[in-house]
Amino acid sequence: MFDTETEGARIELRALTKHYPGQPAPAVDNVDLDIPAGELVVFVGPSGCGKTTTMKMINRLVEPTSGEIRIGGKDVLSLQPDELRRHIGYAIQQVGLFPHLTIGQNIGLVPKLLGWPAARIAARVEELLSLVNLEPSLFHDRYPRQLSGGQQQRVGVARALAADPPVMLMDEPFGATDPITREHLQKEFVRLQKRLRKTIIFVTHDFEEAIKLGDRIVVLRERSHIAQYDTPAEILARPADDYVAGFVGQDATLKRLALLRVEDVAPVGPPQPTGLPQVAAGTSLREALDVMIAHGSDRCSSPSGVLTYAALCGVVGTGRPSSTGQEPEAVPSLPAPEKVVAGGR
Amino acid sequence: MNFSEYVVSRWDTLSLAAAEHVLAVAIAIGVAALVGIGTGLLVHETPKARNASLALSAAILTVPSLALLTLLIPLTGLGWGSTLVALTAYALLPIIRNTVTGLNGVDATTVEAGRGMGMSRARVLMKVQLPLAWPLILTGVRVSTQMIIGIAAIAAYVDGPGLGTQIFEGLSRLGSVNALNATLAGTLGIVVIAVLFDLFFYAVRQLTVPRGLRVRH
Repeated sequence: MFDTETEGARIELRALTKHYPGQPAPAVDNVDLDIPAGELVVFVGPSGCGKTTTMKMINRLVEPTSGEIRIGGKDVLSLQPDELRRHIGYAIQQVGLFPHLTIGQNIGLVPKLLGWPAARIAARVEELLSLVNLEPSLFHDRYPRQLSGGQQQRVGVARALAADPPVMLMDEPFGATDPITREHLQKEFVRLQKRLRKTIIFVTHDFEEAIKLGDRIVVLRERSHIAQYDTPAEILARPADDYVAGFVGQDATLKRLALLRVEDVAPVGPPQPTGLPQVAAGTSLREALDVMIAHGSDRCSSPSGVLTYAALCGVVGTGRPSSTGQEPEAVPSLPAPEKVVAGGR
Repeated sequence: MNFSEYVVSRWDTLSLAAAEHVLAVAIAIGVAALVGIGTGLLVHETPKARNASLALSAAILTVPSLALLTLLIPLTGLGWGSTLVALTAYALLPIIRNTVTGLNGVDATTVEAGRGMGMSRARVLMKVQLPLAWPLILTGVRVSTQMIIGIAAIAAYVDGPGLGTQIFEGLSRLGSVNALNATLAGTLGIVVIAVLFDLFFYAVRQLTVPRGLRVRH
């Protein structure tokens, strides 16, 4: 359908509007947006801001009132909706697995709709179960009710990936799980996306999740107006206005540290395996900072070298610990690190 | 003649009446299931049609069976015709109601997931909503069956088939020879038929409700 590509396709929204009859204002008002092929773009905004409606117009679960949608250059509104949806992966918070079908049948549903031969469907289902870390021999013939919430959400992702669509729409697909499972699923998903390079629109109201997952973030305000569209690092460093700053929260600098790893900072010396608190390779700077605070030390050692508090301040742009600069609230008065975000990007 | 002697001596008559009773109920419930489930599938999404069909089938149920059977005589005559029409009509309400409730009770997100994957409206209805609503629909059919097994006895008034003849004959001659035995035989026969139908539906349920809906964690 989209030139048979399975790697991402570019999505373009032009003056996209949805006005429900009988409502004074449109739910989605004149949205223009370009989503580059192979990127994961997170729509983040408060409940009722129109982010889900915007997403659902792309696979036409909601028909736009006016405007244009193009995927890989193709005009989506000229395609047959059911056929279109078979080529767009779709995962939702409530998962919506069919309880009367086995896990294998659930995952194989879209390939079956597309008329794949049975052998190819079976092979694909096996592959996808392994991909989302569910042992095929154990899970293939089970039913959704026999799975935990986290396992069901993995199946939901596998089902969305089934026909290898170039574009995926995901509406808080990890929302219904406990924080530990969610974090685990998010990490797995980031790893998966690095391999698959799909174009993904991911809707969430959780800004932390947006930072962790997004190549880019679209911060939306009411009626789906775009407040800012940029990379996570850029939004954290330079929020466009007070609305975005409010979404970012008071700990923007800590969040920026969470995006960086110890390898991203120039070490002040060679690794010191003894005498200093140790952090592993790939640790986020936020976790490294947590380790330093916990040990009452202004430095720690990683396999790539010794890291200092001053160097940490340097990377997030404050220069020195007693900052007088742009973000006086952030570094000097460190909030308690009770909510450490494990990096993992 | 005691009861068991009566049953043995009238076995031919009794077994034929029982078989006719079962047949009348089976035909009526088969037709009512087809019509009722079909109606439910068609109207479950349109409030006006849904309310109209439920109101109509409820109205039929309020007509006393004796009156309905009598009113049908000019149209469908005495015997089987009127019996089957009346039984079918009475069986409709629980089936339509449970079909509508079952189809509409399917989780909206499950339906949306199906649509979002590219299943057509009709496919979601037949492949997702119907199987998920099936246990409830089957319960409706089962309730209807139990109800019309009793009503079928009254069909004897319009010369209909079944065990009702035994009951009414017995009652009209009460005090005379074998009157009590005839009434008792008819009544107990109906109880046995009701139990057998229930066993049948238990088996149908076990065989047709998707396994995924019966499994436990």
